[in-house]
Amino acid sequence: MLHIKDLRVSVEDKEILKGVNLDINPGEVHAIMGPNGSGKSTLANAIAGREEYQITQGSITFDGQDLLDMEVDERAHAGVFMAFQYPIEIPGVSNATFLKSAINALREARGQEELSPVELLKLLREKARMLGIDESFLKRSLNEGFSGGEKKRNEMLQMALLEPKLGILDETDSGLDIDALRIVADAVNQLRGPERSFLIVTHYQRLLNYIVPDYVHVIYDGRIVKSGDKELAIQLEEQGYDWIKAEAVAG
Amino acid sequence: MSAVLQDQHTTTKDWLNDLFQVYEDGLNGHRDHPLAEFRRRAFRELQEQDFPTRRDEDWKYTSVTPMLKQPYQEGRPVALEAKDLESAVYPELNAVKLVFTNGVLDTRHSDLDELPEGLHILPVSQAMEEEETRRWIEAQVEQEGGTGKNTFLPLNRAFAGQGLLVRAERNAAIERPVHLIYLSAPGADPHFAHPQLFVQAKTGSRLILIESYRALESDSLYFTNAANWIELAANARVDHYRLQRESRAAYQIHNTLVRQDRDSTYSAYAADLGGKLVRNNLSTTLLNSNTQTNYYAIYLGNGKQHLDNQTFIDHAVPYCQSNELYKGILTDSARGVFNGKVMVRQDAQKTNAFQQNSSLVLSPRAVMDTKPQLEIYADDVRCSHGATIGQLDETAVFYLRSRGIPERQARNLLQQAFLGEVVDFMDLEPVAERVRALIEEKLREA
Ligand SMILES: Nc1ncnc2c1ncn2[C@@H]1O[C@H](COP(=O)(O)OP(=O)(O)O)[C@@H](O)[C@H]1O
Ligand SMILES: [Mg+2]
Repeated sequence: MLHIKDLRVSVEDKEILKGVNLDINPGEVHAIMGPNGSGKSTLANAIAGREEYQITQGSITFDGQDLLDMEVDERAHAGVFMAFQYPIEIPGVSNATFLKSAINALREARGQEELSPVELLKLLREKARMLGIDESFLKRSLNEGFSGGEKKRNEMLQMALLEPKLGILDETDSGLDIDALRIVADAVNQLRGPERSFLIVTHYQRLLNYIVPDYVHVIYDGRIVKSGDKELAIQLEEQGYDWIKAEAVAG
Repeated sequence: MSAVLQDQHTTTKDWLNDLFQVYEDGLNGHRDHPLAEFRRRAFRELQEQDFPTRRDEDWKYTSVTPMLKQPYQEGRPVALEAKDLESAVYPELNAVKLVFTNGVLDTRHSDLDELPEGLHILPVSQAMEEEETRRWIEAQVEQEGGTGKNTFLPLNRAFAGQGLLVRAERNAAIERPVHLIYLSAPGADPHFAHPQLFVQAKTGSRLILIESYRALESDSLYFTNAANWIELAANARVDHYRLQRESRAAYQIHNTLVRQDRDSTYSAYAADLGGKLVRNNLSTTLLNSNTQTNYYAIYLGNGKQHLDNQTFIDHAVPYCQSNELYKGILTDSARGVFNGKVMVRQDAQKTNAFQQNSSLVLSPRAVMDTKPQLEIYADDVRCSHGATIGQLDETAVFYLRSRGIPERQARNLLQQAFLGEVVDFMDLEPVAERVRALIEEKLREA
């Protein structure tokens, strides 16, 4: 489904990703771990299509299409969704307006009819309830004045509504208490299916107790330096990242 | 004055002379009518004045030359069809409608009979025939000087023959808004229109005014020079809306002079969407304490539109509040001007004055000139003012697009949100909805 080959990405002329290779098949859950500043968010943003991240080399294909050739909104239409590490606050655009616009834009791109306001509201309410989000949220400005946990849950609400083929979670777990963490994990687990894959970026192993990954990769200094199964996450939790760094330096 | 300017002003004065002569010649037996006298006096005043040039500080960014060089004809009435009124009338308001076409009152489509209790609307010509109302009107005119010389006021008084006096009686809370619908219909273009309104809100009264300007043809050429004199007696409240979408070729000068007595509240809400060159002169003189003055306005310019807002709030007495928020967006080669003066005189202790102008300039050729001016001569006051000019937040654009919202729509949503902050202040929800729809429509067509 997603094939990343020798991806090099620079930000402001500084090379951050230095040749990343990653293959994700339909239905798989991959976790990406690594110390702060190693390039996890850069990888997520490069897939989502953020302009500041310049691709200097390599390729990303998604469902056989050249993802790097697609506009940001086209990537979303193709089924890529990234939950932001720091969701943006947009005063004056209500959460409901935003969600309606997104759902209908996606439906239009997929050749489906727009949902009627009644159908939309029903859908919004149903998914909000699933994520433990109060309905009053929908009337408020997008993320404005939301707590960290509320913002993350709002990201999960968007993912649940947009039903992507690939869901990327960029440290959605950080700053969440255990209840909120469970809600996020439930949302992902409910969406898991043979055709839907996830890339879970996390700093801690904690989230992976609830969302059990098929593969775990460790990224360090812009490269994936180690891959394994969920045992690798546990090992990292116990031993920290120093041994990874040492191995990487030793080559 | 340079020879070129001299020439050009001579040309303007020539067609104005011709136009006034047409009026004089048509008077026949009414030469001595008090309105004729009133207009003649104004015309003499006009002859003694010069139109502003860009050397005048308040006209630095706006040239009236292209506007004044046309030899305009008096606007002529046009028989309206039902469809012409459809998008101009807001049925949900249940308003008292006053429809003007090309500056001429269309009595057939206006609600001049069966006005709500406490509301009086009469032509200025009739008001002039009564001693008391004539004196009141003349008193309003005499106050004009206090806000600095504005040639467009005598211009309006000299040529307006269809002015109205709107009066809310003592303690009358008039719930139905008064909707002034100014339509421009193609006909004898270029034409000249002079909407004129004298508003008397008596003690304790409540009045909602809505002015809407609209062209039935998107590129007809005309010049609208509107003037409102509004007086609020003690404890009166006037909400004054203005929705402007003139044609792409139209010129508009809009003048509003407000005078407020104690405990009164005046709120101006405006949306400038149309017009080629639009200049708003809005000023308030505070006569007594405990007043509230609100100015909320948006401007949205594209193409070569030029939208200029001049405001003046004169705090001369203590314990008064003023709030001013102007927000606008300029794209293509559009130009915006904001010149907001707030004067806090020595006696105006405990004044609360807030002023903010924020603009988004979305193209390299678009320009915004902003000049917030706060002059404070009292020491115990709370005043703030500020101006910002910026672009859309690109991370916000990315966020919306990453959810599948196409770029154009994402940018429109953010622009609507930016202006929405002002629209949200509009108390009259049906009007706010109309303004939101007009903004959306304009953003979509651009
Ligand atoms: N927008 C940006 N501007 C400048 N530097 C950036 C930007 N984004 C990331 N970086 C730099 O790139 C490196 C990797 O960042 P990031 O991908 O956010 O790491 P992680 O998510 O693993 O903590 C860091 O050194 C960070 O400072
Ligand atoms: Mg990160």
